[in-house]
Amino acid sequence: MPKTYQGYLAIVLHSHLPYVRHPDYEDFLEEDWFYEAVTETYIPLIDALARLINDKVDFRITIGLSPTLVAMFLDPLLQSRYLNHINKLIELAHKEVERTRWQPEFHHLAVMYLNNFYRARETFRRYGGNLAQPFKDFQDLGKVEIVTCGATHGYLPLLEVMRPSVRAQVKVAADHYEKTFGRRPRGIWLPECGYYPGYDEILKEAGIKYFFSDAHGVLHATPRPKYGVFAPIYCKSGVACFARDLESAKQVWSSIEGYPGDYNYREFYRDIGFDLDYEYIKPYIHPDGIRINTGIKYYRITGSEHKQPYSPHLAREKAAEHAGNFMFNREKQIEHLAGFLQRKPIIVSPYDAELYGHWWYEGVMWLELLLRKIYFDQKTIRTITPSEYLTENPRNQVSTPSLSSWGWKGYSEMWLQGPNDWIYRHLHKASERMTELVKSFPSAEGLLRRALNQALRELLLAQSSDWAFIMATGTHVPYAVKRTKDHLLRFTRLFEDIKSNYIDENWLADIEYRDNIFPDIDYRVHQ
Amino acid sequence: MARLRRTKSKLKSTRAKDRKRPVSKARVAAAKREEKQELLGTYETAVVKAKFFTPEPQRPARRVMEELPAGYNEDKIILQVRDPWWLHAYWELRQETMDGLRRRLGDAFHAARMVLRVYDVSYIIFNGSNANSFFDIEINPDANSWYIDTKGPGRSWCVDLGLRLANGKFITIVRSNTVHTPIEGPSWVTDEEWMVPDDIFAKLYGMGFGLGQSSPVGKAWQERAKKALFSGALSSGASPVKKPLKEKKFWLVVNTELIVYGATEPDAKVTVQGRPVELRPDGTFTLRFALPDGKQVIAVKAAAAGKDEERVITPVINKETR
Repeated sequence: MPKTYQGYLAIVLHSHLPYVRHPDYEDFLEEDWFYEAVTETYIPLIDALARLINDKVDFRITIGLSPTLVAMFLDPLLQSRYLNHINKLIELAHKEVERTRWQPEFHHLAVMYLNNFYRARETFRRYGGNLAQPFKDFQDLGKVEIVTCGATHGYLPLLEVMRPSVRAQVKVAADHYEKTFGRRPRGIWLPECGYYPGYDEILKEAGIKYFFSDAHGVLHATPRPKYGVFAPIYCKSGVACFARDLESAKQVWSSIEGYPGDYNYREFYRDIGFDLDYEYIKPYIHPDGIRINTGIKYYRITGSEHKQPYSPHLAREKAAEHAGNFMFNREKQIEHLAGFLQRKPIIVSPYDAELYGHWWYEGVMWLELLLRKIYFDQKTIRTITPSEYLTENPRNQVSTPSLSSWGWKGYSEMWLQGPNDWIYRHLHKASERMTELVKSFPSAEGLLRRALNQALRELLLAQSSDWAFIMATGTHVPYAVKRTKDHLLRFTRLFEDIKSNYIDENWLADIEYRDNIFPDIDYRVHQ
Repeated sequence: MARLRRTKSKLKSTRAKDRKRPVSKARVAAAKREEKQELLGTYETAVVKAKFFTPEPQRPARRVMEELPAGYNEDKIILQVRDPWWLHAYWELRQETMDGLRRRLGDAFHAARMVLRVYDVSYIIFNGSNANSFFDIEINPDANSWYIDTKGPGRSWCVDLGLRLANGKFITIVRSNTVHTPIEGPSWVTDEEWMVPDDIFAKLYGMGFGLGQSSPVGKAWQERAKKALFSGALSSGASPVKKPLKEKKFWLVVNTELIVYGATEPDAKVTVQGRPVELRPDGTFTLRFALPDGKQVIAVKAAAAGKDEERVITPVINKETR
């Protein structure tokens, strides 16, 4: 496809969910976060990418898969539970097809959901339940670049006083990536884009070539970046930093272009799990009778209280229009930039993957249409991965990015405020103790080694930024507090047992079974 | 005197106040900065929050939870960067340490104030007495953490927790780690090889923040995202029938459904309005329909297996809503 393009577009989807897996409960509500995202985001995304490849559309996209999410993809228990989950949805969709027989405005939607659920199950089965596999296949074909993340999505700038934990987050992630995808990760999505000057050195140790920051991370870099956010900079370590372009970011959200807020798109908040008769919906909601989202939603946003039925046809037309609009604006942006930069600009557009499909139902369709249009309909921009960009443009300015994140207000306040600041006293202490254990036992074997490895697992799980985030936003707080405390308490007990040379093997086996993430972890990375 | 805030104070309600500066020019700059900050990360936070959109189960505690300790019996203060202006410090002091001071200082101890001494240690190797400047924050003796307004981005900071005696003498109890706050704006350092004229950089800077020409930012959507984030609209609420997103006034919704059920020989073929129905092993069946206004003619037909025999029963339903 040699075309005379004037600049590059790097679309980045960051996918992450915290490790939620409760083998001792038949039905655990927070596991639904994963099942919903599988049905609504990950599988539709896999299907869309497979279609693009099948249709010989040349495209590039960068996908961040957090190690916790990958670990859930690989977990046999969650795989079998997802199958149960999708089977229940198929059963419910069958009933809906019957129930809506006299309501033509909803009947075709019930049929649509039934087909979607069947297709999701088919895709899931095609990969033997392992959804990391298709991403690996796409990467091996050169279309997708998978980047890693912090092992459990720990927010690194608030672990700065305990750098061994920063190192462990990065190294465990890189090793887990290598085992899953058959090569070292080239790039990393730092959790929440949280960068503290100097972390590039730790990335370099792990063999990572680049990371992403929010716009101000590079705009406020020292010295001043010559190309603003439209070219990467090299940190002194030689690791490259790509900055987010906020113009394209906002475009996806802007009310004027109307992307996810468009009235023709599906309404997220009207779900039959909440709307239908209790007795009818009971088998498909939580066994305790708590109403939950089923994923079957019949209305569009509409723009008023009185919601209109959803029309897939209208929504698709809108998605195509919005894809065209996005492409047009990127072309204009690139033309404008190329005019005065005297260098081919790169526009980096990262989004949370769960925005697509889950929150913005038509988002995956929009993305697929966008990639098709970029390939077929224009000659100005080319999609690219950061690795390819660096190969083609190896000469870049050396500068140090500024401390930054893409969280609320751009720094660390989201994870450091009244409701969650109490956790750091304990997280830091546990880090310090972990370092002490590694120093005391530089080469443990047998039961001691198992205990040390499990201690690191518990520490990493406690560090997930999701818990602090949830405490700050106020939903599911008891769960987030419990997870933080449970992992810290398990860590503390392991620490004390190890120090006193009395390891309770039965108890250790029990928590190894509960918190089974990263089976090949090596506690010695925490230093 | 440093502006300061206790950890447990209400963050959201006091945030605007905290940022006020005595000089009006500075206040305008601060307001602008806030506006920019409000933009940063708002959508991302809203989306991440939506990932956790499930109702919260009411779980009885199965057993009494073991608790984390209040402290770890050590003298320690840790400093973290919250943003370019604010630091967060947490600390703990052992009882023995305080008792020792009380014995050593005698009466002076009781007249002393517990103080955080915040040193600006930018560009130096701090030895305890060579700070560029410092300011003190008097703290409540029972506090164990504090947010510190440094008023100056792009600096390095170190904090002593100590006692300030009535005679002005300061006694350090513990010293923190050193942290570096980021600059809030473009760097003044430029690079000869990668020189960029100021006007071009100003343009790039604005574009980098999405203030370019090709797509005006939709204020309305920003508002929606912001509202969703802090009103709890993205959360589900405790009551299962409560509709999220809108705090409605008094309201009523009524829908009707019709249940059609029956029984025949377990091996018979049954259709309802021409569509096949699956029978339970005992030959019973149940169908449930949303019932809109109007007339429904529901022909239920059963054909016997292997015999040329059938039965038809046709309920007719008229529904109207007044």
